[in-house]
Amino acid sequence: MEGDNKLALFEQSIVPHLNAAYNLSLWLTRNTHDAEDVVQEAYLRAFRFFDGFKGGDGKAWLLAVVRNTWLSWLRKRKGDSPAVAFDEQTHSPERERSNTESTLVEKAKLGSLQECIELLPIEYREVVVLRELEEMPYKDIADVAGIPLGTVMSRLSRGRKRLEDCVAARMNGGSR
Amino acid sequence: MTCSSAQVLIEAYLDGELGPGQSAEVREHLENCASCTEVYRRLKQLQTDIRAQAPYYQAPDHLRERVRAALHNASERDAVRTRALPWNWMAIAASILLVLSLAWSLALLRSRSSTRDLVAQAILSSHVRSLIGTHLLDVPSSDQHTVKPWFNGKLDFSPNVKDFAAQGFRLLGGRIEYVENRPIAALVYQRRQHVINLFTWPTSSADESGKLELNRNGYHLLHWTKGGMTYWAVSDLNEGELEQFARLYNQ
Repeated sequence: MEGDNKLALFEQSIVPHLNAAYNLSLWLTRNTHDAEDVVQEAYLRAFRFFDGFKGGDGKAWLLAVVRNTWLSWLRKRKGDSPAVAFDEQTHSPERERSNTESTLVEKAKLGSLQECIELLPIEYREVVVLRELEEMPYKDIADVAGIPLGTVMSRLSRGRKRLEDCVAARMNGGSR
Repeated sequence: MTCSSAQVLIEAYLDGELGPGQSAEVREHLENCASCTEVYRRLKQLQTDIRAQAPYYQAPDHLRERVRAALHNASERDAVRTRALPWNWMAIAASILLVLSLAWSLALLRSRSSTRDLVAQAILSSHVRSLIGTHLLDVPSSDQHTVKPWFNGKLDFSPNVKDFAAQGFRLLGGRIEYVENRPIAALVYQRRQHVINLFTWPTSSADESGKLELNRNGYHLLHWTKGGMTYWAVSDLNEGELEQFARLYNQ
Protein backbone atom coordinates (compact mmCIF):
# COMPACT_ATOMS: atom_id res chain seq x y z
CA MET A 1 0.00 0.00 0.00
CA GLU A 2 1.41 3.40 -0.99
CA GLY A 3 2.59 5.37 2.06
CA ASP A 4 0.47 8.52 1.95
CA ASN A 5 -2.64 6.61 0.93
CA LYS A 6 -2.11 4.15 3.74
CA LEU A 7 -1.89 6.87 6.37
CA ALA A 8 -4.89 8.72 4.95
CA LEU A 9 -6.99 5.57 4.75
CA PHE A 10 -5.91 4.59 8.26
CA GLU A 11 -6.83 8.02 9.58
CA GLN A 12 -10.24 7.78 7.99
CA SER A 13 -11.18 4.28 9.08
CA ILE A 14 -9.26 3.60 12.29
CA VAL A 15 -8.35 6.83 14.09
CA PRO A 16 -12.04 7.75 14.72
CA HIS A 17 -12.19 4.77 17.08
CA LEU A 18 -9.60 6.24 19.45
CA ASN A 19 -12.19 6.75 22.18
CA ALA A 20 -13.33 3.15 21.93
CA ALA A 21 -9.70 2.01 22.15
CA TYR A 22 -9.02 4.21 25.17
CA ASN A 23 -12.25 3.24 26.91
CA LEU A 24 -11.49 -0.48 26.63
CA SER A 25 -7.86 -0.01 27.67
CA LEU A 26 -8.79 1.99 30.73
CA TRP A 27 -11.39 -0.51 31.89
CA LEU A 28 -8.82 -3.30 31.41
CA THR A 29 -5.77 -1.62 32.95
CA ARG A 30 -7.63 0.54 35.49
CA ASN A 31 -5.13 3.37 35.33
CA THR A 32 -4.74 6.18 32.82
CA HIS A 33 -0.96 5.96 32.39
CA ASP A 34 -1.04 2.29 31.36
CA ALA A 35 -4.17 2.77 29.26
CA GLU A 36 -2.41 5.48 27.22
CA ASP A 37 0.64 3.27 26.68
CA VAL A 38 -1.53 0.36 25.55
CA VAL A 39 -3.50 2.58 23.15
CA GLN A 40 -0.38 4.06 21.55
CA GLU A 41 1.23 0.64 21.15
CA ALA A 42 -2.02 -0.79 19.78
CA TYR A 43 -2.31 1.95 17.19
CA LEU A 44 1.25 1.38 15.98
CA ARG A 45 0.55 -2.33 15.67
CA ALA A 46 -2.73 -1.65 13.90
CA PHE A 47 -0.94 0.62 11.44
CA ARG A 48 1.66 -2.07 10.80
CA PHE A 49 -1.07 -4.68 10.23
CA PHE A 50 -3.33 -2.35 8.27
CA ASP A 51 -2.55 -4.06 4.98
CA GLY A 52 -4.29 -7.11 6.37
CA PHE A 53 -7.47 -5.18 7.16
CA LYS A 54 -10.18 -6.31 4.79
CA GLY A 55 -12.48 -3.35 5.32
CA GLY A 56 -15.81 -3.53 7.11
CA ASP A 57 -16.04 -2.72 10.79
CA GLY A 58 -12.82 -0.91 11.73
CA LYS A 59 -13.82 -0.68 15.37
CA ALA A 60 -14.05 -4.44 16.02
CA TRP A 61 -10.77 -5.00 14.17
CA LEU A 62 -9.04 -2.26 16.14
CA LEU A 63 -10.38 -3.41 19.51
CA ALA A 64 -9.11 -6.92 18.81
CA VAL A 65 -5.65 -5.37 18.30
CA VAL A 66 -6.07 -3.32 21.50
CA ARG A 67 -7.04 -6.38 23.49
CA ASN A 68 -4.08 -8.40 22.18
CA THR A 69 -1.74 -5.50 22.87
CA TRP A 70 -3.08 -5.29 26.41
CA LEU A 71 -2.47 -9.04 26.83
CA SER A 72 1.17 -8.67 25.70
CA TRP A 73 1.56 -5.69 27.97
CA LEU A 74 0.17 -7.73 30.86
CA ARG A 75 2.64 -10.55 30.24
CA LYS A 76 5.55 -8.12 30.24
CA ARG A 77 4.71 -6.82 33.68
CA LYS A 78 6.45 -8.58 36.53
CA GLY A 79 4.13 -9.81 39.27
CA ASP A 80 0.80 -8.40 40.28
CA SER A 81 0.74 -4.65 40.73
CA PRO A 82 -2.28 -3.37 42.57
CA ALA A 83 -4.51 -1.17 40.45
CA VAL A 84 -3.78 2.51 41.01
CA ALA A 85 -6.80 4.74 41.40
CA PHE A 86 -7.46 6.55 38.15
CA ASP A 87 -8.71 10.04 37.41
CA GLU A 88 -12.44 10.45 37.35
CA GLN A 89 -13.44 11.31 33.82
CA THR A 90 -17.01 10.50 34.62
CA HIS A 91 -19.59 12.35 32.65
CA SER A 92 -22.47 12.40 35.10
CA PRO A 93 -25.89 11.46 33.82
CA GLU A 94 -28.59 14.06 34.20
CA ARG A 95 -31.18 13.04 36.76
CA GLU A 96 -34.03 14.65 38.62
CA ARG A 97 -33.49 14.90 42.39
CA SER A 98 -36.66 15.33 44.36
CA ASN A 99 -35.58 14.87 47.99
CA THR A 100 -32.37 14.60 50.02
CA GLU A 101 -32.78 10.96 50.94
CA SER A 102 -33.11 9.77 47.36
CA THR A 103 -30.09 11.93 46.48
CA LEU A 104 -27.95 10.16 49.07
CA VAL A 105 -29.15 6.76 47.96
CA GLU A 106 -28.49 7.66 44.32
CA LYS A 107 -24.99 8.93 45.18
CA ALA A 108 -24.15 5.71 47.01
CA LYS A 109 -25.41 3.73 44.05
CA LEU A 110 -23.46 5.91 41.60
CA GLY A 111 -20.13 4.93 43.12
CA SER A 112 -21.18 1.32 43.63
CA LEU A 113 -21.93 0.12 40.13
CA GLN A 114 -18.78 1.63 38.68
CA GLU A 115 -16.71 0.06 41.47
CA CYS A 116 -18.50 -3.25 41.06
CA ILE A 117 -17.53 -3.35 37.40
CA GLU A 118 -13.92 -2.48 38.26
CA LEU A 119 -13.90 -5.32 40.77
CA LEU A 120 -15.15 -7.89 38.29
CA PRO A 121 -12.63 -10.54 37.27
CA ILE A 122 -11.04 -9.37 34.03
CA GLU A 123 -12.67 -12.00 31.81
CA TYR A 124 -16.14 -10.87 32.92
CA ARG A 125 -15.26 -7.18 32.91
CA GLU A 126 -14.10 -7.09 29.30
CA VAL A 127 -17.25 -8.81 28.04
CA VAL A 128 -19.53 -6.51 30.06
CA VAL A 129 -17.70 -3.40 28.81
CA LEU A 130 -17.84 -4.53 25.19
CA ARG A 131 -21.53 -5.41 25.42
CA GLU A 132 -22.94 -2.61 27.55
CA LEU A 133 -20.64 0.32 26.84
CA GLU A 134 -19.46 -0.52 23.35
CA GLU A 135 -22.81 -2.13 22.43
CA MET A 136 -21.13 -4.82 20.37
CA PRO A 137 -22.99 -7.87 19.11
CA TYR A 138 -21.90 -11.18 20.61
CA LYS A 139 -20.06 -12.14 17.45
CA ASP A 140 -17.85 -9.04 17.57
CA ILE A 141 -17.16 -9.56 21.27
CA ALA A 142 -16.07 -13.11 20.43
CA ASP A 143 -13.69 -11.75 17.77
CA VAL A 144 -12.24 -9.04 20.00
CA ALA A 145 -11.72 -11.29 23.03
CA GLY A 146 -10.70 -14.32 20.97
CA ILE A 147 -13.23 -16.63 22.62
CA PRO A 148 -16.12 -18.72 21.29
CA LEU A 149 -19.64 -17.31 21.13
CA GLY A 150 -20.89 -19.62 23.87
CA THR A 151 -18.15 -18.38 26.19
CA VAL A 152 -19.17 -14.78 25.50
CA MET A 153 -22.72 -15.58 26.56
CA SER A 154 -21.79 -17.48 29.72
CA ARG A 155 -19.25 -14.84 30.85
CA LEU A 156 -21.76 -12.08 30.19
CA SER A 157 -24.42 -13.92 32.16
CA ARG A 158 -22.09 -14.58 35.10
CA GLY A 159 -20.71 -11.06 34.98
CA ARG A 160 -24.21 -9.59 35.13
CA LYS A 161 -25.15 -11.86 38.04
CA ARG A 162 -22.03 -10.80 39.94
CA LEU A 163 -22.82 -7.13 39.32
CA GLU A 164 -26.35 -7.54 40.64
CA ASP A 165 -25.06 -9.29 43.75
CA CYS A 166 -22.32 -6.70 44.26
CA VAL A 167 -24.69 -3.75 43.98
CA ALA A 168 -27.26 -5.42 46.24
CA ALA A 169 -24.57 -6.12 48.86
CA ARG A 170 -23.49 -2.47 48.86
CA MET A 171 -27.04 -1.20 49.10
CA ASN A 172 -27.76 -3.49 52.03
CA GLY A 173 -24.49 -2.48 53.64
CA GLY A 174 -26.14 0.88 54.30
CA SER A 175 -24.48 4.30 54.24
CA ARG A 176 -20.70 4.63 54.16
CA MET B 1 -42.49 -21.82 25.37
CA THR B 2 -41.70 -22.92 28.92
CA CYS B 3 -40.11 -20.75 31.58
CA SER B 4 -36.89 -22.73 31.51
CA SER B 5 -36.59 -22.28 27.73
CA ALA B 6 -37.40 -18.60 28.02
CA GLN B 7 -34.84 -18.03 30.74
CA VAL B 8 -32.10 -19.61 28.64
CA LEU B 9 -32.88 -17.13 25.86
CA ILE B 10 -33.78 -14.10 27.90
CA GLU B 11 -30.37 -12.40 27.88
CA ALA B 12 -29.92 -12.96 24.17
CA TYR B 13 -33.41 -11.49 23.75
CA LEU B 14 -32.43 -8.44 25.81
CA ASP B 15 -29.28 -8.00 23.73
CA GLY B 16 -31.15 -8.21 20.44
CA GLU B 17 -29.36 -11.37 19.39
CA LEU B 18 -32.40 -13.52 18.63
CA GLY B 19 -33.95 -13.86 15.20
CA PRO B 20 -37.48 -12.56 14.67
CA GLY B 21 -39.09 -15.98 15.25
CA GLN B 22 -37.45 -16.63 18.58
CA SER B 23 -37.86 -13.01 19.67
CA ALA B 24 -41.58 -13.25 19.07
CA GLU B 25 -41.78 -16.48 21.09
CA VAL B 26 -39.93 -14.96 24.03
CA ARG B 27 -41.96 -11.77 23.88
CA GLU B 28 -45.17 -13.78 23.88
CA HIS B 29 -44.00 -15.81 26.86
CA LEU B 30 -43.11 -12.63 28.78
CA GLU B 31 -46.56 -11.20 28.15
CA ASN B 32 -48.04 -14.17 29.93
CA CYS B 33 -45.49 -14.87 32.65
CA ALA B 34 -44.98 -12.58 35.63
CA SER B 35 -41.89 -14.31 37.04
CA CYS B 36 -39.97 -14.32 33.75
CA THR B 37 -41.01 -10.71 33.20
CA GLU B 38 -39.47 -9.90 36.56
CA VAL B 39 -36.21 -11.58 35.54
CA TYR B 40 -36.23 -9.57 32.31
CA ARG B 41 -37.04 -6.35 34.15
CA ARG B 42 -34.08 -6.78 36.53
CA LEU B 43 -31.69 -7.49 33.65
CA LYS B 44 -32.98 -4.50 31.71
CA GLN B 45 -32.62 -2.29 34.78
CA LEU B 46 -29.02 -3.43 35.27
CA GLN B 47 -28.29 -2.67 31.63
CA THR B 48 -29.83 0.79 31.92
CA ASP B 49 -27.90 1.47 35.14
CA ILE B 50 -24.59 0.36 33.66
CA ARG B 51 -25.05 2.59 30.62
CA ALA B 52 -26.03 5.53 32.80
CA GLN B 53 -23.41 5.13 35.52
CA ALA B 54 -20.37 3.43 34.07
CA PRO B 55 -18.28 6.06 32.32
CA TYR B 56 -17.38 5.75 28.66
CA TYR B 57 -13.92 7.21 28.82
CA GLN B 58 -12.94 9.77 26.22
CA ALA B 59 -9.35 9.79 25.00
CA PRO B 60 -7.58 12.91 26.30
CA ASP B 61 -6.36 15.38 23.68
CA HIS B 62 -2.68 14.80 24.48
CA LEU B 63 -3.15 11.08 23.74
CA ARG B 64 -4.77 11.92 20.42
CA GLU B 65 -1.74 14.06 19.56
CA ARG B 66 0.73 11.40 20.75
CA VAL B 67 -0.92 8.74 18.57
CA ARG B 68 -1.06 11.08 15.55
CA ALA B 69 2.62 11.94 15.92
CA ALA B 70 3.59 8.30 16.36
CA LEU B 71 1.65 7.31 13.24
CA HIS B 72 3.25 10.04 11.17
CA ASN B 73 6.68 8.91 12.35
CA ALA B 74 5.88 5.32 11.47
CA SER B 75 4.65 6.38 8.06
CA GLU B 76 7.84 8.42 7.49
CA ARG B 77 9.98 5.46 8.50
CA ASP B 78 8.12 3.27 6.02
CA ALA B 79 8.69 5.82 3.27
CA VAL B 80 12.40 6.12 4.09
CA ARG B 81 12.76 2.37 4.09
CA THR B 82 11.30 2.19 0.59
CA ARG B 83 13.49 5.03 -0.67
CA ALA B 84 16.57 3.39 0.81
CA LEU B 85 16.33 0.52 -1.66
CA PRO B 86 16.64 2.16 -5.08
CA TRP B 87 17.96 -1.04 -6.57
CA ASN B 88 14.56 -2.68 -5.99
CA TRP B 89 13.27 -1.27 -9.28
CA MET B 90 10.95 -4.17 -9.95
CA ALA B 91 9.08 -3.52 -6.73
CA ILE B 92 8.84 0.17 -7.60
CA ALA B 93 7.61 -0.59 -11.10
CA ALA B 94 5.05 -2.99 -9.68
CA SER B 95 3.88 -0.33 -7.21
CA ILE B 96 3.49 2.24 -9.98
CA LEU B 97 1.50 -0.22 -12.07
CA LEU B 98 -0.68 -1.04 -9.08
CA VAL B 99 -1.36 2.62 -8.31
CA LEU B 100 -2.16 3.31 -11.96
CA SER B 101 -4.52 0.38 -12.25
CA LEU B 102 -6.21 1.35 -9.00
CA ALA B 103 -6.65 4.89 -10.23
CA TRP B 104 -8.07 3.60 -13.51
CA SER B 105 -10.46 1.25 -11.70
CA LEU B 106 -11.53 4.06 -9.43
CA ALA B 107 -12.19 6.34 -12.40
CA LEU B 108 -14.22 3.58 -14.04
CA LEU B 109 -16.11 2.96 -10.82
CA ARG B 110 -16.81 6.64 -10.32
CA SER B 111 -18.24 7.05 -13.79
CA ARG B 112 -20.58 4.16 -13.13
CA SER B 113 -21.61 5.21 -9.62
CA SER B 114 -24.86 6.98 -9.26
CA THR B 115 -24.89 10.53 -8.00
CA ARG B 116 -26.33 9.20 -4.77
CA ASP B 117 -23.33 6.95 -4.08
CA LEU B 118 -21.00 9.90 -4.57
CA VAL B 119 -23.09 12.00 -2.22
CA ALA B 120 -23.11 9.16 0.31
CA GLN B 121 -19.33 8.98 0.17
CA ALA B 122 -19.01 12.75 0.61
CA ILE B 123 -21.48 12.69 3.51
CA LEU B 124 -19.56 9.88 5.22
CA SER B 125 -16.25 11.75 4.83
CA SER B 126 -17.83 14.89 6.31
CA HIS B 127 -19.13 12.91 9.24
CA VAL B 128 -15.78 11.26 9.99
CA ARG B 129 -13.88 14.54 9.59
CA SER B 130 -16.24 16.26 12.00
CA LEU B 131 -15.47 13.63 14.62
CA ILE B 132 -11.68 13.57 14.39
CA GLY B 133 -11.07 17.27 13.98
CA THR B 134 -11.88 20.11 16.33
CA HIS B 135 -14.62 21.43 14.12
CA LEU B 136 -17.88 19.73 15.05
CA LEU B 137 -19.97 22.80 15.80
CA ASP B 138 -20.08 26.38 14.45
CA VAL B 139 -23.01 27.17 16.68
CA PRO B 140 -22.91 25.14 19.91
CA SER B 141 -26.37 25.32 21.41
CA SER B 142 -29.06 22.92 22.48
CA ASP B 143 -31.72 25.54 21.84
CA GLN B 144 -33.37 25.10 18.44
CA HIS B 145 -34.45 28.75 18.59
CA THR B 146 -30.78 29.72 18.67
CA VAL B 147 -29.53 27.23 16.10
CA LYS B 148 -32.17 27.77 13.37
CA PRO B 149 -31.77 31.56 13.04
CA TRP B 150 -27.98 31.22 13.15
CA PHE B 151 -28.13 29.80 9.62
CA ASN B 152 -29.88 32.95 8.29
CA GLY B 153 -27.60 34.80 5.92
CA LYS B 154 -25.16 31.90 5.84
CA LEU B 155 -27.33 29.57 3.77
CA ASP B 156 -29.89 30.23 1.07
CA PHE B 157 -32.42 28.09 2.95
CA SER B 158 -33.59 27.67 6.52
CA PRO B 159 -33.11 24.17 7.88
CA ASN B 160 -35.73 22.42 9.96
CA VAL B 161 -34.17 22.30 13.43
CA LYS B 162 -35.75 20.11 16.09
CA ASP B 163 -34.69 18.97 19.52
CA PHE B 164 -35.50 15.53 20.93
CA ALA B 165 -33.75 15.72 24.29
CA ALA B 166 -36.86 14.27 25.92
CA GLN B 167 -36.57 11.17 23.71
CA GLY B 168 -32.83 10.84 24.31
CA PHE B 169 -31.53 12.60 21.19
CA ARG B 170 -30.02 15.84 22.40
CA LEU B 171 -29.33 18.70 19.99
CA LEU B 172 -25.69 19.79 20.33
CA GLY B 173 -25.73 22.52 17.69
CA GLY B 174 -24.94 22.98 14.03
CA ARG B 175 -22.37 23.91 11.43
CA ILE B 176 -22.03 24.71 7.76
CA GLU B 177 -20.79 21.88 5.60
CA TYR B 178 -19.90 21.60 1.93
CA VAL B 179 -21.06 18.69 -0.14
CA GLU B 180 -20.53 18.65 -3.88
CA ASN B 181 -19.54 22.34 -3.65
CA ARG B 182 -22.85 23.30 -2.17
CA PRO B 183 -23.12 24.82 1.35
CA ILE B 184 -25.49 22.76 3.47
CA ALA B 185 -26.59 22.53 7.08
CA ALA B 186 -25.25 19.90 9.46
CA LEU B 187 -27.29 19.49 12.64
CA VAL B 188 -25.51 17.57 15.37
CA TYR B 189 -27.22 15.32 17.90
CA GLN B 190 -26.05 13.12 20.71
CA ARG B 191 -27.43 9.76 21.80
CA ARG B 192 -25.46 8.43 24.78
CA GLN B 193 -21.85 8.49 23.52
CA HIS B 194 -22.84 8.47 19.85
CA VAL B 195 -22.81 11.53 17.62
CA ILE B 196 -25.40 11.84 14.87
CA ASN B 197 -24.82 14.25 12.02
CA LEU B 198 -27.98 15.19 10.18
CA PHE B 199 -27.15 16.83 6.86
CA THR B 200 -29.92 18.70 5.10
CA TRP B 201 -30.43 20.88 2.05
CA PRO B 202 -33.25 21.67 -0.39
CA THR B 203 -33.86 18.85 -2.84
CA SER B 204 -32.76 19.74 -6.34
CA SER B 205 -33.78 18.04 -9.56
CA ALA B 206 -30.38 16.32 -9.58
CA ASP B 207 -31.03 14.66 -6.20
CA GLU B 208 -32.51 11.21 -6.23
CA SER B 209 -35.49 10.95 -3.97
CA GLY B 210 -36.62 7.92 -2.03
CA LYS B 211 -35.26 6.27 1.07
CA LEU B 212 -31.89 4.61 1.38
CA GLU B 213 -30.05 2.71 4.09
CA LEU B 214 -26.33 2.14 3.89
CA ASN B 215 -23.59 0.67 6.04
CA ARG B 216 -20.06 1.86 5.39
CA ASN B 217 -16.99 1.25 7.58
CA GLY B 218 -19.13 0.59 10.62
CA TYR B 219 -21.24 3.73 10.17
CA HIS B 220 -24.94 3.74 9.34
CA LEU B 221 -26.43 6.17 6.87
CA LEU B 222 -30.10 6.92 6.36
CA HIS B 223 -31.31 9.06 3.48
CA TRP B 224 -34.77 10.42 2.77
CA THR B 225 -36.49 13.40 1.25
CA LYS B 226 -39.49 15.19 2.69
CA GLY B 227 -41.20 18.51 2.18
CA GLY B 228 -38.74 19.51 -0.52
CA MET B 229 -35.72 18.85 1.71
CA THR B 230 -33.07 16.16 1.45
CA TYR B 231 -31.84 14.49 4.66
CA TRP B 232 -28.87 12.29 5.42
CA ALA B 233 -28.43 10.97 8.97
CA VAL B 234 -25.02 9.42 9.76
CA SER B 235 -23.85 7.81 12.97
CA ASP B 236 -22.11 4.81 14.46
CA LEU B 237 -25.30 4.40 16.46
CA ASN B 238 -27.10 1.14 15.71
CA GLU B 239 -29.61 1.10 12.83
CA GLY B 240 -32.64 0.58 15.03
CA GLU B 241 -32.07 3.70 17.08
CA LEU B 242 -30.97 5.76 14.09
CA GLU B 243 -34.24 4.83 12.39
CA GLN B 244 -36.03 5.87 15.55
CA PHE B 245 -34.32 9.25 15.26
CA ALA B 246 -35.34 9.53 11.60
CA ARG B 247 -38.96 8.70 12.44
CA LEU B 248 -39.01 11.35 15.18
CA TYR B 249 -37.68 13.90 12.72
CA ASN B 250 -40.34 13.07 10.16
CA GLN B 251 -43.28 13.51 12.50
